[in-house]
Amino acid sequence: MQFSIQKEIYKNLSLIRKTQEEIIKRYHPADKMRCPMHFCVGQEIMPAVLGPLMIDEDSIYSHHRSHGYYIAKKGSINEMIAEFYGKETGSNGGLAGSQELSSTKIDFYSGTILSGAFAMALGGAFEKKYNQKKGIGISVIGDGGMEEGIVYESLNMATQMNLPILYICENNSYSTHTTLKQRTLENKPSNRVKNFNMKTTYFDGNDPDKLFNLMKSIVKKIRDTKKPHFVEINTYRFNGHVGPEGDDHFNYRSKKEINHWIKNDPIKFYEKKLFSKSRKLLALKKKINDKNFKIIDRAFRFAEKSKFPKRYENNNFKATYKNVKKFYNNSISFGTVQEDHKPKPY
Amino acid sequence: MKKKKILTFGQAINEALDQAMSRDKSVFVFGQGVDKTGHVFHSTEGLLKKYKKKRIFDTPNSEQAETMLALGASLNGKLRPVLIHHRVDFMAYTFDQLVNWISLWSFKSSKKSYAPLVIRAIIGRGWGQGPQHAKTLHTMFSYLPGLRVVMPSSPSEAKGMMLSSIASNDPVIFLEYRALYNTKELVPTERFYIDLDQPRLRLKGNSLTLVAAGTSVLTSLKAAEILYKEKKIKIDLFDLRSISKMNLKKIIESVKKTKRLVLVEDGWKNFGYSSEIITQIVENKIKLAEAPQRICWPNSHVPMSAPLEKDFYFDEHDIVKACKKVLKEKLIHSN
Repeated sequence: MQFSIQKEIYKNLSLIRKTQEEIIKRYHPADKMRCPMHFCVGQEIMPAVLGPLMIDEDSIYSHHRSHGYYIAKKGSINEMIAEFYGKETGSNGGLAGSQELSSTKIDFYSGTILSGAFAMALGGAFEKKYNQKKGIGISVIGDGGMEEGIVYESLNMATQMNLPILYICENNSYSTHTTLKQRTLENKPSNRVKNFNMKTTYFDGNDPDKLFNLMKSIVKKIRDTKKPHFVEINTYRFNGHVGPEGDDHFNYRSKKEINHWIKNDPIKFYEKKLFSKSRKLLALKKKINDKNFKIIDRAFRFAEKSKFPKRYENNNFKATYKNVKKFYNNSISFGTVQEDHKPKPY
Repeated sequence: MKKKKILTFGQAINEALDQAMSRDKSVFVFGQGVDKTGHVFHSTEGLLKKYKKKRIFDTPNSEQAETMLALGASLNGKLRPVLIHHRVDFMAYTFDQLVNWISLWSFKSSKKSYAPLVIRAIIGRGWGQGPQHAKTLHTMFSYLPGLRVVMPSSPSEAKGMMLSSIASNDPVIFLEYRALYNTKELVPTERFYIDLDQPRLRLKGNSLTLVAAGTSVLTSLKAAEILYKEKKIKIDLFDLRSISKMNLKKIIESVKKTKRLVLVEDGWKNFGYSSEIITQIVENKIKLAEAPQRICWPNSHVPMSAPLEKDFYFDEHDIVKACKKVLKEKLIHSN
């Protein structure tokens, strides 16, 4: 592994984690980010390693736990925090919030009604193939989203149409507070996907280097063959399902389980692996984290200073046409009397 | 005089698709069975030969995924998909895609992103199509902000509106009444565009204002003919064209003049465009000489058998009756 790539992966891991920790810290009592948020603390590993593997022409269609992928795709942190504040400088112009964080600048789209974005990747990948672009569609879903019907329509069409899509299922074992085992007899979503004649890979581990090498070969294959590939990763969210508050007081998951995952936190693992061997390396770690904090802190100030959008209702329609110079004469003489007809059976 | 030729409704849509595809490489057509056999009432005939599989193709029975494919491909006009459903009833599968994704796409990005896609769907209306093949959902779609819902009433209207729908940077639901496919009309051969926001004044007169859309325009034209033949009555007949974005300015002006209003709608009576227009007339404080009349479908699912169908659907004589009702006073005077 090149150290420069490892540094980038660590920078991503830390930026994703720190951004969310800062949001959680500043959420109350200020109450300036007034939208539901699904944090991905604990699930940073996949977006962080994808960071160095993506090109600008790739597009991401994400589930609602999307912050990590937005950051990994180099989305502006300023625009992200401003969006959570509902300000006009936000990535969505302040009209959508965290649940539908999207940015055309980085071809990143997300949504919270479960599996719609997953299916959108079909269109993104189709367009890239149609226009002979190098990019691929990256479609991210959770184990809960995998239960919707549209997922199976999409998987079938992706293989049938040979579309260059990287499917990622982040299996964190919970749909809100309901366990996977309570919802299905097949606990590995990737097993269901195999039947569509799609290549699948299952990853369980906390070493970002291992995941990077795996994803590097998969992404290359998708670019070369223009065929979809489905990757399932076993992961865990440390935070509650939604909002800055935890939800462990509901006792829907055991302390033992939580502690197991926190002990095996990929970020802690990676810090030890990369930076524990010398003081110089420790200083480098601090430098990366200080820089990340500056980016985040600046973003909050940017959001504070920005204004709320003045209007909203004018955004429902684009109300423009492509290449239409004038409309046809609307006068009464246009057209002639229609002939009578009898509908035939179909 | 611009060049025109006689085309059926299906041929007119076919010509529009062909002209859009030849002008703009980003236009493609897809949906279940659209490239074969019946060619969607001949409306996609010849396109496969000319534009190949890349630009017109068949799909599995996956309405939801097809709809999201259209959205994903259309982002910011990278492509301009035309998705076809053989019956509008199948669009019920795609409610999430319309309600939670497509209709709010422009809004939630503050217009930074847009989705220029067209969804064509056929309303089965008539000939035993029954509960799952005959209904129209135009007002359900129109309720959602962000969707353009249009219903052409004739071949020339269909051609110009299809070209405009493809060129539109908003998502358009293009509803075609099956009963119109065999109608014929002189259609301009050039590539022409119709303003989707403007209702069209189809007949001019002072006695009353009648508003219709889709098939009901044709039925209303027949009714107007009878009224003129019998009583020498001339009416203002408007073709609404767009259901979701109704520009009622001209219609309101007309009602101010005639003080009489008849609404004809091939769809259920409750919450239809007819109800919406009456509401807006009332809100504009326009005093009517007689209570407005609505000629719509009963609030019931559509029966299949011929005698019950006859009872369910209205015809031109029902419209004539309603017109006479709002003309009560005037007719007495002219007699």
